[in-house]
Amino acid sequence: MQHLAHVMPLDGHAAAAAIEVTDLDHVYANHDAEVAALADISFLVEAGRFVVIVGPSGCGKSTLLMILAGLRHATGGTVRCDGEPIARPDPHRVGVVFQEASLFPWLTALDNIEFPLVLRHVPREDRRRRALTMLELVGLAGFGEKYPHELSGGMKQRVSIARGLVQDPPVLLMDEPFAALDEQTRMTMGHELLRIWDETRKTILFVTHSLTEAVYLADEVLVMSARPGRIVDRIDITLARPRSYEMMATETFGRLRDRIWRQIRAAP
Amino acid sequence: MTRLSPAAARWLIVAVVLALWELLPRLGLVAELFLPSLSSTVAVTVADWPEYAQNLLVTLYEVVLAMVFACGGGILAGSVIGGLALLRNLLLPVFSSLYAVPIVILYPIFTAWFGIGSESKIVFAATYGFFPVTLATAAGIRTIDPQLLIVARSMNASLSQQITRVIVPASIPTVLAGLRLGGALTIVGVVVSEMLTSAAGIGYLVTRYRTVLDSAHVFAAVIMILLLTVVFDALVRFIERRTAVWQSAGRISRASLREVVAQPAPALG
Amino acid sequence: MTGRQIVLARLGLLALVLAAWEALPRLEIVNPRLFPPLGEVLRVLAEILARADVQAGVAVTAGEVAVAFGLAVPLGALIGVAVAENDYLGRVFKPLFFFVFSVPKSIFLPMFILVFGIGFSQKVAFGIFSALFIVIMSATAAVESVRAEHVLVARSCGATRWQILTRVYMPSMLPILLETLRISMIFTLTGVILAEMYASRTGVGSLIGNWGENFMMRQLFAGVLLLALIAILINESVRLLEARCSTWRT
Repeated sequence: MQHLAHVMPLDGHAAAAAIEVTDLDHVYANHDAEVAALADISFLVEAGRFVVIVGPSGCGKSTLLMILAGLRHATGGTVRCDGEPIARPDPHRVGVVFQEASLFPWLTALDNIEFPLVLRHVPREDRRRRALTMLELVGLAGFGEKYPHELSGGMKQRVSIARGLVQDPPVLLMDEPFAALDEQTRMTMGHELLRIWDETRKTILFVTHSLTEAVYLADEVLVMSARPGRIVDRIDITLARPRSYEMMATETFGRLRDRIWRQIRAAP
Repeated sequence: MTRLSPAAARWLIVAVVLALWELLPRLGLVAELFLPSLSSTVAVTVADWPEYAQNLLVTLYEVVLAMVFACGGGILAGSVIGGLALLRNLLLPVFSSLYAVPIVILYPIFTAWFGIGSESKIVFAATYGFFPVTLATAAGIRTIDPQLLIVARSMNASLSQQITRVIVPASIPTVLAGLRLGGALTIVGVVVSEMLTSAAGIGYLVTRYRTVLDSAHVFAAVIMILLLTVVFDALVRFIERRTAVWQSAGRISRASLREVVAQPAPALG
Repeated sequence: MTGRQIVLARLGLLALVLAAWEALPRLEIVNPRLFPPLGEVLRVLAEILARADVQAGVAVTAGEVAVAFGLAVPLGALIGVAVAENDYLGRVFKPLFFFVFSVPKSIFLPMFILVFGIGFSQKVAFGIFSALFIVIMSATAAVESVRAEHVLVARSCGATRWQILTRVYMPSMLPILLETLRISMIFTLTGVILAEMYASRTGVGSLIGNWGENFMMRQLFAGVLLLALIAILINESVRLLEARCSTWRT
């Protein structure tokens, strides 16, 4: 069912959930007709968790992410980050990584990573230091002065991730970031992402329509139905960490994937 | 307030322009010298039709001949240059640099060489149209998918079959685009040269009437030239649509603004 | 062929053309009175450049082009941006601009003379008219070339509207804007020269026309050569600038 709260920590402290979505609806106008993109979405994501949202094409998962990023206002319901409502884009609280790396082609990799800091008028040395740290984190040390057209697809996405993390937000939203990459790069990038997550312990909300990716990366998977998107299932991924490629061949992996697939096919 | 559809708004603008054209001079708000009324322009056209027709024929004759050289020569040259990487790398940048020069300055040279008759107009207009058509054809040749030829050869097509069944159909859009461009340019080239120094042709009429400040006749002639270019353009586009339907003919007929800006557009146009 | 070889080949071609220009008339293969040899033309070029009336003519033309350019570009840019940003205006006016653009504007020159006479203002007005529509269309294209994804990314990074304008729109549009400047300069120059040749007593165009009428072939060739060189110089300089600013474009 839809309303799925996560278990509170045992010591009784009510740590504010990193992300809290309550009764979210979204309707938009399209050529004199109204389209319900999202309906009745409610969930909590605890700090430090890696949550994947998976669903069929057009189910509204990207819309959901846009709302969480503050780039769009939902027509109904609330979204909060660390207890505070999300009213506008704020890279301090929520970093975003898009499907298309969308790096500015006229800036070098380092300049691209620094971009949010430039907007905040952060002094040059601090910016540079921060950006270099991020560059190293994503494994691209030495590539800072390259322009996007000199980088491969995977490298561009790494820069994009670095940019999303440069202001050290507690939450990182990722909208199908590896969808435009070939399969091998996808697998490598997934692995890299888990390493980065392990080092930084951010809360990650990751949207994909790859079931394999969902099971491989996530602590828990939220399954969305077709439009209007609702959360139809929440699946705990019981695989051990750190994840390895060999796990993909296990029975548990297969079962989890099947469960997701069945939910997606069955959802009205 | 409900808005007009864009098409309706456009028609409205056209209607308003036509109305102003008639009213502003009639009401004395604008001197007849600057803007002869629509009705007087039409009246003059009808009254002096034989003179207009006669000169129009001279112009058409010159345009046709110039087109043969500009389009024929340009398409041929463009195909050769575009097709051979060596020539392409060597010559194309040179041609496109030359494009910055206002070609009209060559016209006095041509009149000195060929006199003020039709020959100088034809040579000038042909030269004027030649380079842009060459550039456009050279660029267009490269858009033909080389895979098509590979496929044909893999099916054991003979050389003549390759030419007639692959190269020719694939080149039609480029050729037609070159024709359209060259035609527009030669019309402009002929008319402008007639305006500058001539004893006959519609451009000559424009200048003659202008020097006696007969605005109505000037406007009539200019409108005729306008119609000529519009009709020619529409005609070629019609043929383009009919023959290149299977291609992404959208690329030709609905060129994006960006493409239009990037093409060697006629500087005099 | 390597880049260097191509440059050498082009220089070789140029040398060939120049040599022919010198040789063919001198050897009387073509009539030297109608086609003066290069050496003669260059000599006369130096002569006319020293003359006050020629210098005045160049100044007049330069002035007309500068004023026309200076007015056409901002006006056209403003209209072009408005049409690109406002969806309704765009849908109404773009086809109209397209149509006007495809119509040759030189045929309207006589009308300008009827209204403005044959002085400075007529040439400037016609110069503006010649260049205006290409500026409008280019400005529209420039604004539309800014990718929506880039704007979205900037927003997600918390950029204000002003920051989006200066840090996304401007760098994105710069290459097209430079190209626009180059092309509109060509159109302005062509329009002004045509106006001068057609009905004017001042300016380089009118000088060239005069020399032609009086069969002063060497001066005519010199004038044509001068103008051609200036035009190419301006064009290539802006091209160089464009290339420098567009290293990031694929």
